[in-house]
Amino acid sequence: MRVELRNLSKRWGNVVGVDNISLEVKDGEFVAFLGPSGCGKTTTLLMIAGIYKPTSGEILFDGRVVNHVPPKDRNIGMVFQSYALYPHMTVFDNIAYPLKLQKLPKEEIRERVQRVADMMGIGHLLDRKPGQLSGGQQQRVALGRALVKNPKLLLFDEPLSNLDARLRLTMRGEIKRRQMELGITSIYVTHDQVEAMTMADRIAVIKDGKLQAYDTPEELYERPRTLFIASFIGNPPMNLIRGVEVVRENGTYWTQCPAFRVPVPPERGEKVAGQGEIIMGIRPEDITLAAEEDGQGVVGEVYVVEPLGRDDLISVQLLGDVYVHFLADPHLKLRPGMKITMHFDTSKVQFFDPESERSLLWG
Amino acid sequence: MAVWVETEQVDGIGQRLRNAVAYILLAVSIIPILVGYAWLLIATFSYRTEGLLPKDPQGNIGGWTLANWQFVTDPLIWRVTFNSLVIALGMVVGVGFASSLAGYALSRMNFAGRKGFLSMTLVLHAFPSVTLLISIFFVLQAISALPGVGKVFGYNTVGGVALVMVSLDLPLGIWLMKGFFDNISWDMERAALIDGASRFRVWWEIIMPQIRPGLAALAIFTFLTGWSAYLIPATFTIGTKVSNLPVYINYLMGETSLTNWNQVAAVGLFQMIPILVFFFFTQEKLLNIYSGGTKGGV
Amino acid sequence: MEAVVQEQAMEMVARRRSWRVSLEAFSFMSPAMVLVTLFFFIPVVLLLWISLTNLSSNTFGNPLCVGGMRDFCESLGIRVGRVEFVGVSNYRRLFADRFFPKILGNTLFYVFTTLIFFNVGLALILALLTTHIERRTGFLFRAIWLLPRITPSVIYIMMWKRISADAPYGILNQFLVPLGFEPKAWLKEAPWLFVIITNGFVGASFGMLIFSSAIESIPRDYIMAAKVDGASTLQIIRTIIIPLIKWPLLFVTTYQTLSLLASFEYILLLTNGGPGLYRTEVWSLTAYHRALQTYFGNNQWGYGAAWGFVLVVIGIIFSLIYLRVFRFDELVQEPKIDAL
Repeated sequence: MRVELRNLSKRWGNVVGVDNISLEVKDGEFVAFLGPSGCGKTTTLLMIAGIYKPTSGEILFDGRVVNHVPPKDRNIGMVFQSYALYPHMTVFDNIAYPLKLQKLPKEEIRERVQRVADMMGIGHLLDRKPGQLSGGQQQRVALGRALVKNPKLLLFDEPLSNLDARLRLTMRGEIKRRQMELGITSIYVTHDQVEAMTMADRIAVIKDGKLQAYDTPEELYERPRTLFIASFIGNPPMNLIRGVEVVRENGTYWTQCPAFRVPVPPERGEKVAGQGEIIMGIRPEDITLAAEEDGQGVVGEVYVVEPLGRDDLISVQLLGDVYVHFLADPHLKLRPGMKITMHFDTSKVQFFDPESERSLLWG
Repeated sequence: MAVWVETEQVDGIGQRLRNAVAYILLAVSIIPILVGYAWLLIATFSYRTEGLLPKDPQGNIGGWTLANWQFVTDPLIWRVTFNSLVIALGMVVGVGFASSLAGYALSRMNFAGRKGFLSMTLVLHAFPSVTLLISIFFVLQAISALPGVGKVFGYNTVGGVALVMVSLDLPLGIWLMKGFFDNISWDMERAALIDGASRFRVWWEIIMPQIRPGLAALAIFTFLTGWSAYLIPATFTIGTKVSNLPVYINYLMGETSLTNWNQVAAVGLFQMIPILVFFFFTQEKLLNIYSGGTKGGV
Repeated sequence: MEAVVQEQAMEMVARRRSWRVSLEAFSFMSPAMVLVTLFFFIPVVLLLWISLTNLSSNTFGNPLCVGGMRDFCESLGIRVGRVEFVGVSNYRRLFADRFFPKILGNTLFYVFTTLIFFNVGLALILALLTTHIERRTGFLFRAIWLLPRITPSVIYIMMWKRISADAPYGILNQFLVPLGFEPKAWLKEAPWLFVIITNGFVGASFGMLIFSSAIESIPRDYIMAAKVDGASTLQIIRTIIIPLIKWPLLFVTTYQTLSLLASFEYILLLTNGGPGLYRTEVWSLTAYHRALQTYFGNNQWGYGAAWGFVLVVIGIIFSLIYLRVFRFDELVQEPKIDAL
């Protein structure tokens, strides 16, 4: 099913929850709504589900306005953060509930519930009550209940945030696979950019009720259009250095500030040269320890070392109270106070206007 | 653990002394209550009492007897007991049904005038409803004049008494039920709506089973209110056929100047049985529901 | 032009839809609304109406059939009796009543004595004591204090009648005579004492429960800090606990003032306003006596309604104060599901 939002807004009195969002979800596409908590992404989802009524704007399913279609007639399945299982019913009755409401024959209900339960690997738990299940099992039941009525659209509201880290990884893969197998159009709300990046075909980044960007994960990562997207996507987050100037000298573009002076490739440099003080963004993975002093290195002092296991996250203090983070091999045994020289891979560097916070490269 | 004193530490003796004083004061405070019950129990099983002492006809201590319980062979007592039961159960069903519907709407539905209905419930909750008995008398008279309904719910009917009592308890019931509904997860209700249920089915199949403990508390509360009711049954019924136990007991007490107190005590204890059963098994619920802010009282 | 027509059509659809939505909610509300209308709203209006008529056993008829309505009622065959619209004369009569000062004095005495000594005073002491001692025991004492409230009024009053009875039956005499006191018929000697005690023993438990849950929710750090600073128990009560339960105190005080003002069931059963003329008759009992329970079989509904309606007005004023002062309406959360 194709979903289209046209100038969708939701206000409660003076409080703006969702502000004029327009986007389209293609048939069979997996779209993530990504943003910090309270940004309006769940409100948008609940409007698509028919739980909230839009203050203005339209929601279209396959080209038909569904603003006034009640949730039960929208043919959707939804999975909630709290699972929202009915605690007084068995797993079987939970999954069977949508079918029971459709007044299907008992035999068919039994068959379809069993099929979905087997697919979700909970076929042996049908007689249990939700309270007797683990978090992961409960989430499978919730998913089964959403899938059993063969919905045209699946809605997920932070379905994995109540699970522990390992289970989250398993369920992430599982949800993605079911979605691909069944080809159901899906909208997935999350505040976890890793989830959004790994699962979604396209990501809608939402902040303060406004749609910031709507693009593929690669695009958002490689070519962030705003400072917010740049800082929100990627882990550890992008280093942002204020008060940077880009100048052209002898045919080479240099990015400079009191802390360092490094060359930039011309295709990036030419777009931002001579614009005064701007913000430079560089991802931690684009910073490496320089092998030798070549005059283009950035010098600093190790400030904090946070072991992450595979890498150490190093925080370095540059001149003028500028800090940058990068990942280093633990075997290098970097320690606070050590003077080091780093190499900035400026072929992937980003530049933003400090006023509008928009990208100067992909504007 | 006491709430506002750490008992295990600091000044041992002073603390223990203060605790002892607290226990003594509390123990003294409940003496009249315990004495009242002690008398009821002793009087029920004795020929007569002087103070708390059971006496036989000759005035000696003793005189234990079951004779006071002879009233159980009187069909009238079963009639009034039945009436009491009808009023109490009528209240449980009526208040439970009407206030769980209204409480649900007020807690979980958006509709025009919702705020107004909520304020109204609050005002009525604090409102001294007994002052309205005079005009309720005429409302019941009017209902009596209706064909059919009047016979069941009019003046001087058990149904009419139950109806008035249900109504006067509704503001409390609605407010309590609304509170119980407020605590139910919204996602669960949303899930049920998406699954295809109507609001009515959501209420009945999904939400009501979640508030069973609250419903039970309200049921106990209204049962006790209905079972103990005196003023309204006494005001709106004439004669023992439609009266309930408390009205009947009061009638026994005022019948002649020589009240057989011991027999009245037995009927009283008889009426107390379900109350004491509830009291012993559901104190916690009762304490909570009363501190939830009810028609206080007196 | 077409757009306008379409917009109008949409608006009509939307209006019909919102009407349908409200209809769904109203169907949930309707059983309660019918009963509340029948036994709250209509009675309030009716009470005012009746208080402006001379309705009594002598004039009995349909209270609505006065003035111009008489002929109409008669044509329908409704009993009209000799009911007349008499304006405020019932109210004038009320204030001119020979016993008005006595009843007013009784009411104020009863309400404020019971309130201060029991419904607030004893309630606070019980709450402090039961939260001071070990938790389970405190709970047990509170449960016992709940007994008077859940005991049917008739049985409860029967117990007090026996406690206060004359020798040789009275329990109080049984304890006092060995101490050298003269045996007395206590209820006749000191009716007020027993009216206030019987009401107070029921009334105290309400405040006790509210106060103790308020005290239990005070963060223990505050009290610990005060103890460390060397505050005595009384100082802790005065400087920490009382200020922190200010709102519950105010709530119980106002709520119980109204309850006591309107309540008369226990007085009705215990003394019925006696002994003698109006010794313990309070305002609400007067309304009841005049309208619904008379010795001579003459029910003066109109006059009694005037007494009752004064209380209704006080009740409405108090209720509005609750809404304003305690802001209960702000506790209300917005429904998190919209009707489409």
